[in-house]
Amino acid sequence: MRRNVRQVGFWSAANLAVFAFALIPVLWIISLSLKGPKDFSDRKFLPANPSLDNYDGIFKDSQFTHALLNSIGISLIATLIAVVLGSMAAYALARLQFGGKTLILSSALAIAMFPPIAIIGPIFNIWRNVGLYDTWPGLIIPYMTFTLPLAIYTLSAFFREIPWELEQAAQVDGATPFQAFRKVIVPLAAPGVFTTAILVFIFAWNDFLFAISLTSTDKSRTVPAALAFFTGDTQFSQPVGSIAAAAVVVTIPVIIMVLIFQRRIVAGLTAGAVKG
Amino acid sequence: MLAGVAAGVFIVLAGCGGGGGAKGPATLNWYVFKDKSGSFDYAAKQCSKQSGGKYTIKIQLLPADADGQREQLVRRLAAKDSSIDLIGMDVIWTAEFAEAKWIKPWSGADRARVEQGTLAKPLQTASYKGTLWGAPLNSNAQVLYYRKDLVPNPPKTWAEMLAQGQKLGAKGKIEVQAAQYEGLTVWFNSLLGSAGGQILASPEKAALGPPAVAALDVMKKLAISPAADPSMSNAKEDQANIAFEGGKAAFQVNYPAFYSTIKKEAPKVFAVTGIAPWPSVTPGQPSHTTIGGINLGVGAFTKHPTEAFAAAQCLRNRPNQKYAQVNGSFAPSIADLFQDPDVKKAQPFSLLLKVALEQASLRPVTPAYTDISLAVQKTLSPPSGIDPPSTAKDLKSKIDKALKSGGLL
Amino acid sequence: MTNGAGTVAAQRAEPRQEAPGKRRPSERARAERRLGWLLCAPAVLIMAAVTAYPILNAVVLSLQRADLRFPGNNEFVGLRNYGDVLSSNLWWQDLANTAIIMVASVAIELVIGMLLAIVMQRAIFGRGPIRAVILIPYGIITVVAALAWKYAWAADTGFVPSLLNLSSDPLTSHDSAMLVIILTEVWKTTPFMALLLLAGLALVPDELHEAARVDGASTWQRFWRITIPMMMPAILVALLFRALDAFRVFDSVFILTRGANETESVSILGYNQLITRLNLGIGSAVSVLIFICVALIAVVFLKGFGRTMRQRQV
Repeated sequence: MRRNVRQVGFWSAANLAVFAFALIPVLWIISLSLKGPKDFSDRKFLPANPSLDNYDGIFKDSQFTHALLNSIGISLIATLIAVVLGSMAAYALARLQFGGKTLILSSALAIAMFPPIAIIGPIFNIWRNVGLYDTWPGLIIPYMTFTLPLAIYTLSAFFREIPWELEQAAQVDGATPFQAFRKVIVPLAAPGVFTTAILVFIFAWNDFLFAISLTSTDKSRTVPAALAFFTGDTQFSQPVGSIAAAAVVVTIPVIIMVLIFQRRIVAGLTAGAVKG
Repeated sequence: MLAGVAAGVFIVLAGCGGGGGAKGPATLNWYVFKDKSGSFDYAAKQCSKQSGGKYTIKIQLLPADADGQREQLVRRLAAKDSSIDLIGMDVIWTAEFAEAKWIKPWSGADRARVEQGTLAKPLQTASYKGTLWGAPLNSNAQVLYYRKDLVPNPPKTWAEMLAQGQKLGAKGKIEVQAAQYEGLTVWFNSLLGSAGGQILASPEKAALGPPAVAALDVMKKLAISPAADPSMSNAKEDQANIAFEGGKAAFQVNYPAFYSTIKKEAPKVFAVTGIAPWPSVTPGQPSHTTIGGINLGVGAFTKHPTEAFAAAQCLRNRPNQKYAQVNGSFAPSIADLFQDPDVKKAQPFSLLLKVALEQASLRPVTPAYTDISLAVQKTLSPPSGIDPPSTAKDLKSKIDKALKSGGLL
Repeated sequence: MTNGAGTVAAQRAEPRQEAPGKRRPSERARAERRLGWLLCAPAVLIMAAVTAYPILNAVVLSLQRADLRFPGNNEFVGLRNYGDVLSSNLWWQDLANTAIIMVASVAIELVIGMLLAIVMQRAIFGRGPIRAVILIPYGIITVVAALAWKYAWAADTGFVPSLLNLSSDPLTSHDSAMLVIILTEVWKTTPFMALLLLAGLALVPDELHEAARVDGASTWQRFWRITIPMMMPAILVALLFRALDAFRVFDSVFILTRGANETESVSILGYNQLITRLNLGIGSAVSVLIFICVALIAVVFLKGFGRTMRQRQV
């Protein structure tokens, strides 16, 4: 394709538009986080006197540090459980022959499409009687409603792509079943498992409804819930600067992760949906 | 095997956070909003010191508005949270918390000590079904702020105030709180009480009736008159006061706390500000404005009930209440403090306030109060849309449903 | 190339029935079946436990007067809660709000997503960075995105109102608030839509385009006559996922307006009844109704999807 000026110009404009679409809100929140308490109402995009005071403040605020800890811990554990159990199920679904496979897959899909509000009431009621309200397990267990289906779905799509006969070939060559599994299958499955873990983690990290309904204190309140209920010193206005700084702190690592693993993530997202 | 790992992780996590019983003074968590004048912090420090090592009071901050505070508290109380020892309860929560068994009743010597010397109406706000459920810490009722230079004689009724406001033209605005929140319910309840009616006839049935139509009539007349502030339906206490301080209004119904705010922020306006009783609805009858304030409740699941009851009585004792009244925000619940000379110097209208409290009307005493308030807020907002007879009927049916835990709000 | 596992049909939203094995179950097949169920069991059991039991519980609660503020007064009231909900203006208004948000955001996302997908596929340079940057809205927490949009549009902190010379706070009036909510949703989830459409675009063989171009078809004609029809399955899948997801909208509305000015969505309504009012009876009725609505949408989609697929199978 000959690159003439018009084409370059057109695609540059298109690329710029995409960048602007994706980045303007992010830049805005970063700019807010750098604004001092006097600058919030100046209604300008860029901060007049950028300063890192807000970041200083939130790391000293136990509301935020505890929330960060809770989010990381709960999301990691939920991801771990979902990936482990999902791998087992996906292996069976992709590799073995048995009745009810489509039932399991379609149920997983149906559960993923569930409106979480439908189960908030009963879970709140059960948890408060059983003592799981405002605890880590109290969030991790409901998280299984969306982490497990996502894991099963994505992993079974990945596993279906694995050439399983390589394992048999290795066994023919003299390896034990376990060796064949470890040396042939695991490296082939690893990328899929890793991608699934990333997708599931992002999903769990993102949850809001469960978090605000089933937690109330530093013990288990996650970052999204903490952001919504940040109390500041001032009586009537929200501490915009602290909230913006907190928002940036939880967003930057995800952005970095997304940028590094973008190819895997794209592959994972499209794996389940359209496979001809 | 993996399930075992997962189970192990769960057990470790579940074990986290369980502290052993500590020796030394018990820490009592007091859940209350932040008082700008610092009187809560002062009281907490004093009482911790005076407890002789038995307890220390630690304030846990709640959001500034009553709805936000309730939101944080009720789900934790419903989850039987044992870390809630003392609660700064808004007067409207007594019935709800008592019926749901989230607070402990006051009885015996503790109850007698609280009742002695305390005003009757605050005690009423802390009672439900004959039992005392809270110790009144402070009280609150609205008064009328008016511009002495524009209005030599303060109006006695709403109709009079409306006429005066209209005559004054651009400077004659009347500031009220008509945003869709609890303040709107307070305004309606005050008007209804002043018209001789009440919201509930019994715990299962709404009253309303002709007094309600009269009350709604007042609201509607104000909302459509030139004396109404255009942003009335977005106004809460602060916004109303800011407008009055800015010289845009001749009248304001608001809480006594703003007296010192006006003094600090708008001295020129302060110099010509007068305080009068809340206007009445029926000529010749006194007004019955809504009583507010804070009662101290003891959490039902607390691990230190004895210390909590003792701490609550200390927090509301005479010196601490006097500090609160002198330094800014609240009216006391102890009767004779209104005549204290220091108090009268800080709040020259303190006797007027005492009369208002003695004649105040209560908001409905029912566990379903939140629903009733929601029904009022949603039906009466914005006030310009009120049609007194049909709105009253609509409100009655919504309240009747809410009392049975029915209806969508 | 034979595959010992046996291939499973392409994963579409519509489940296709596998012919149950009519072969005589050999020892190996039986062992395989047992192993298969064993491996699936933990996941299946957990999913069933965390969804089936609460849903049943919700149905039971919805038939009772269950109010945590009157703990002694639980009683069976039959369909009274449903009557209260369905006869209330608030339910229908919130349903309408949710439907508007769903239809508007999915429609806009489809258009923008398609444009993005085309850019991602056909850009002559910068494809990598584009794909990377597109994932940023996907990776951001919805609450963070909503806060960014809220602070950008609010009258006291935002830069947009002065940019557009707006006189009042956009978030305090119904129509403009709904617009901001829709825009927030669009911004957040268009990348996902774009990626699904990109995968669909990849299925359109270039030879078809070449042939059409030789025949003199314009870009526009090629788009509508070749690209779209061949992408139909991908488009429908993307629409289904996004529609069901958009119906559950909660985070954006909660952060932007908390449902004020009549911008409540049905999920916010449910939350208010359950967690704020602690009225488990009415709240559960709302939850069950929402569940039924989602199921209805799915069924309607799948039926239409099935029909489209059957029409295409010449």
